[in-house]
Amino acid sequence: MKELLIKTHEAWMVTLMASFMSKDAESKRVLNDFSDILFRHFTWIEKALIEDGIEYDYNRDAVPIKVDSLKVIVTNIIDRLNTLDMMLAMLDKEALKFRLQTDWDYMKYALNEIKDEEVTAFDANREYKDYNLTKEATDALTLFLFEEGYKEYELIMIYNYLKAHSNDDYLNKIFQILIDESFFHLKSFAEMMAIMGILGVPRVIHKSLYQVDDVTQFLKDGIDEELAAKEQCKELSDAVAKDSDELAKFFDFINYQENYHIELMKDALKHYEENR
Amino acid sequence: MTEMDREIIGHMANPNNYGRMEDADSIGIGENPLNGEKVIIYINVSKKDDNLHIDDIKFEAIACMTTVVAGSIITNEAKDISFETAEELVAVTLGMLESVPPEEAACSEMVAVALKAAIDGYKLSQESGEKQTVIYKIEQSCSPEQEFSAVEDKQEK
Repeated sequence: MKELLIKTHEAWMVTLMASFMSKDAESKRVLNDFSDILFRHFTWIEKALIEDGIEYDYNRDAVPIKVDSLKVIVTNIIDRLNTLDMMLAMLDKEALKFRLQTDWDYMKYALNEIKDEEVTAFDANREYKDYNLTKEATDALTLFLFEEGYKEYELIMIYNYLKAHSNDDYLNKIFQILIDESFFHLKSFAEMMAIMGILGVPRVIHKSLYQVDDVTQFLKDGIDEELAAKEQCKELSDAVAKDSDELAKFFDFINYQENYHIELMKDALKHYEENR
Repeated sequence: MTEMDREIIGHMANPNNYGRMEDADSIGIGENPLNGEKVIIYINVSKKDDNLHIDDIKFEAIACMTTVVAGSIITNEAKDISFETAEELVAVTLGMLESVPPEEAACSEMVAVALKAAIDGYKLSQESGEKQTVIYKIEQSCSPEQEFSAVEDKQEK
């Protein structure tokens, strides 16, 4: 079942990345919906592992995604679903098994219907829409997107792990909000990366980041990191402001969202301290 | 866009040799205790013509993107070379970094000392007959405000 978790994780990442590559609204929607479903599969398989007392982590192989045409990556996703299919024999949870099987069957059918299109998400054009960003602003934006794209993936995985291992409804509600928020940020940044031709899969996160021994310290560090992220958004907003009012407004919007994350994490910290 | 920009973006989007090596012969760690940044290098080693040789190398980074780029470049250089050449690579890298402002050197330095830790850890394991993980600490992060301190090493079982 551990291998099923790893391969589902990889299939989820490839499908999510494929949704960023596509410029066709309908294909993007289908791929994004399927990536959401694969993430949910991932969390259910994880829950089954925990129930059975099987140790696991979020390690996975690197997933190559650099393609020129969408059909190539879609075929790759179908191949991955076929591989997952062959692993189902290992699963003894009948309801979950049926759900996974029927989802994959439909996904394979629908993926086969997706129209091919040219993929430009890896051409490294480093232009965002028709804005004339200076070299300095383009470099700052590039580095920010790589750093923060990874960071959002890291946060999704950390909060997901904490949620999977906690029975505290109050904390889990906060963790779920933070997961949803990180998904939105990851999607926003990765869409920009695809337009700029610099799309990349976030690297594998080290287990010491999510297998947390000291939750109090983790939440305190998390608040500091959110404050640092706010500062980076502010710096980036300033760097691009003279070239693009729209980009500056977007990074201010992200910056202000971090305020709420900080409040949620302070709330989680207070609740954890009071109830442990 | 320059060729260098393109190459660096390639390392950021798809870092070479990134990930955990389950069957590593030696693991070395470069760490900044001030901010928790860390580079872990895994190596597989063989003996070729009586010389110890790095057959394969992987790395993981709990650090910024600049460190990931440095890890991608340095591990590429360190793959399929002898220990002697790898030690020269570490020395040359650290030597080059002496002329770079400390806050800019920290990322590459952490990778170089992690490679040295993996090499030294392998040698120590051979001597003692017990697997040893060596951690070399740097005391400089990618922040211009902090002062540079000399590299201090610590050995852990």
